[in-house]
Amino acid sequence: MSNPLAYVFSCIFVLLAHGAMLFSVFYNGSYDDVNAVIVLMAAVIGLDAVYFIILPFFKQQTYAVDFMLILILNMGLIFQSCFGGVEFRFKHFITMIAALIACRIGYFACRDHRWIEDKRKFIWIGIGILMGVILLFTGSRSMWISLGESTSVQPSEFIKPLLVLACATSVTEQQKKHKLLCFNVVYENLILFGIVAGVCLFQWWCRDLGSIPTFGAIYVSGFLLRICYPKGKYSKKPIIIAVAALAVLAVIGIIVAPPYVRDRLFVDVWNDKNGHGYQQAQALIGIADGGWFGKRPGHGFLHNVFAYNSDIVFATISEEWGLLFSVMSVFVLLMIMAIPLVNPPRSYYHGSMCAGIAAAFSVQMALNIFGSCNMIPFTGVTLPFISMGGTSMVVSGLMAGMLVAAQSPAFKAPKKKKQEQKKPQPVPSQQMQPVPPQQPQLLPPRQDVPQQPPVSYTLTDRRK
Amino acid sequence: MKSIKRCQHIITLFLSIFLVGMVVLVIKINREASFYMMNSDDHRLGMVYDRRGDVLFDGSGRGQYPDGYFTDVGNLIGDDKGQMDNTLVARNIDCLNNYSFSSGLVEKGGKAAIYTTLDHDANRAVYNAYMGAKGCACAYNYKTGELLVCTSLPSLDVTRGYADIDSMESGTLMSKVMYGTVPGSTQKVSTVISALEIMGRERLFSKTYSCTGSFVNAEGKNIDCHQSWGHGDQNIQQAIENSCNPFFAQLIQDSDMPLDRIKSQYEKLGYAINGEDMRYFDIDGIQCERASTTLTDTGDFITQWGCIGQGDTLVSPMQLMMWQSAIANSTGKMTMPYIISKVTDVDGKVKKEADTEYSKQLFTPSTASTVRQMLKTNGANNYGWQVPGYDIGIKSGTAQVKEGAEENALLVGFVDDESHPIAFCVVLENKYSTPVSAEQILTTMLNALYS
Repeated sequence: MSNPLAYVFSCIFVLLAHGAMLFSVFYNGSYDDVNAVIVLMAAVIGLDAVYFIILPFFKQQTYAVDFMLILILNMGLIFQSCFGGVEFRFKHFITMIAALIACRIGYFACRDHRWIEDKRKFIWIGIGILMGVILLFTGSRSMWISLGESTSVQPSEFIKPLLVLACATSVTEQQKKHKLLCFNVVYENLILFGIVAGVCLFQWWCRDLGSIPTFGAIYVSGFLLRICYPKGKYSKKPIIIAVAALAVLAVIGIIVAPPYVRDRLFVDVWNDKNGHGYQQAQALIGIADGGWFGKRPGHGFLHNVFAYNSDIVFATISEEWGLLFSVMSVFVLLMIMAIPLVNPPRSYYHGSMCAGIAAAFSVQMALNIFGSCNMIPFTGVTLPFISMGGTSMVVSGLMAGMLVAAQSPAFKAPKKKKQEQKKPQPVPSQQMQPVPPQQPQLLPPRQDVPQQPPVSYTLTDRRK
Repeated sequence: MKSIKRCQHIITLFLSIFLVGMVVLVIKINREASFYMMNSDDHRLGMVYDRRGDVLFDGSGRGQYPDGYFTDVGNLIGDDKGQMDNTLVARNIDCLNNYSFSSGLVEKGGKAAIYTTLDHDANRAVYNAYMGAKGCACAYNYKTGELLVCTSLPSLDVTRGYADIDSMESGTLMSKVMYGTVPGSTQKVSTVISALEIMGRERLFSKTYSCTGSFVNAEGKNIDCHQSWGHGDQNIQQAIENSCNPFFAQLIQDSDMPLDRIKSQYEKLGYAINGEDMRYFDIDGIQCERASTTLTDTGDFITQWGCIGQGDTLVSPMQLMMWQSAIANSTGKMTMPYIISKVTDVDGKVKKEADTEYSKQLFTPSTASTVRQMLKTNGANNYGWQVPGYDIGIKSGTAQVKEGAEENALLVGFVDDESHPIAFCVVLENKYSTPVSAEQILTTMLNALYS
């Protein structure tokens, strides 16, 4: 660890934040038995402590994302445990642990671009398998697989990180143009477009329409990075065509949407506040009732409304903790996504991955928050890391792990023997060369392990 | 490095869009929170006061008031129970919300209130003057637009609830001032205004028509006069004072009064003509029906009968009163009435104050001056003893309703007094079966407003 003092201070900051919240729960919360608060305190502080002890063993270059992650996860646990009265939500705690494990998996799987790019065909196959699973196991036009009375899995959630990886791993293939009929095309682009179109149509079929904008945002992010590769310039023509195509698709989507979707799109929540607009109307009333500083933990009424801990969780937090606090929580999520702006990714692959994740998270957050507050149609998607829901939590953890990977990448040199056998060919200067860390980082690079040498491998020689 | 920057730009783009959305959300919630809370089951309402601070509606429900204390304005002020939709409280309930996003719901000491221009004492006096008869009366300051009196009978005491709603008489839950009624001969004011606008003062005053008690129009139908032996030859001033139907039928049929010009002037006055969609104008959220009539051909009975103020013609007492302001001010523009003088928020801070507003030009100032003088002459000649002590311009009307089975008495006009610039309209339903006359009600109203 290069700077143990910074690490310790970051730990103290997170512990203080959680401590302040728990203090508020103890003094202001609604509970009959103080043991409920003590259990919650033990779980939160205990998880913080264990996490801070284990984390250094992973020997990352920075831990900024990890600190933010544990901060928001335990905030979510405190929120969830206070809705309608303080009671430790064990199920949510377990899904948090699963998210932290998924984060590690995401980190190890995505830190080495060479390894993951070699495996990208498996990513495509993975998406195909997931669609097959949905088709075969979710029942008629549903998105859930039931694993028991109170447990179910939403396989389509797992497509999100795979789609991010599919976009990120194939971006460097833009140079390989092929003649198809009378057009110069990039096969990878066609494959990716086919995947996205397939996923969106599949989501439409299984009536998980709320996820389509998220998939669309991931693809838009990948598309924008594709068209400016490798020159670093945007071309206006494809952007205009893409925007026009999106607008046409949106109009067609609205026209052919099922009646219940159109009802949601155009519902006047205040005229139908006991019907289609019930959740949104109650959510807005809850936010208004909470004001800036909330009605105190456990004193709200929104816990009586369906999906209070998932689809309208922002309103439930606002009601009990205040709009100020709920907005601050959202800012923690924003900061997780903004870390690549402070500590730039080291390669185009890692940058594309960060952009895809930022697109997915920001659109998902927008759908959840703005939808529940009647600014856009209500789709019923979850708020990452905060909403109750195992699948969402694990997938969010996985994507956070991908962000961690982008912050602490692994650049392994190709074997010397192969380098000698192959003659290097000229390639664009920006391809996959590790970029030396020139920007300020939240935490300085590690000094306890030898830094990777600035190797001169290229995509070309790797594939030969 | 440029490519990495592009990645960062994409991230910045998505985060910025989201951030802008969050800012909009916080602003929207801050602005609309009061409205959201009014849609909840849990809210604390403030008070409605009259111009002297007398309570007209107590949202706290804690005050003690004598029985029938709010009856005179019950169907105008209304309450929050949802039984009456077109009332001051129902339409402005968000102004009474003792809530702010910063301080939340205020249980006690909230100062959210509506201060009205109404004079509770005058309303009560007018209500009592009806002596159990039905009808409505309104009066306002034609210089400023402050609505002073607006009472409608039958009415209700909102503090007693709606347990006996099934036994309530028709019209109890609405202020008749805001809804169309057959105007009777008060409509002739509009016809005179139209004639003056179309042919000018000289030409109109030069015309004389003969009344023999009945007039057979171009369609061959009879237009009868209320004086069966007729009024003989008259000019417009005499016809207005006599309220002579045959005169006005002949005036409408005159070749100097083309139908398109009449329609055009009536539209300027705000009439919906020949079954156009019913339209409303707004008085602090309360909807008031606009006038409507039928104008098909100047020789048709239905057109002439409409211009005389019977048949299909409907005008709300409020609009009849507002036209009087355009005449009394000699401007040809109506002074728009308002009920709310100011609104305070939960902290007592004034968040809305009324301003005097005027309508667009309905007719020329010279027409307004001419009609003003005609009505004043009528007041001096015919109402000096009936409404003693006031310099008024006035026009009466008798409206045939329920297929002619009943007749309503109407009075519209204004007081020519700089210190009490009052325009008014009084409607007394089924005038032959009431112990009081419209003139007596008017006198009581003016006495109360002058006291």
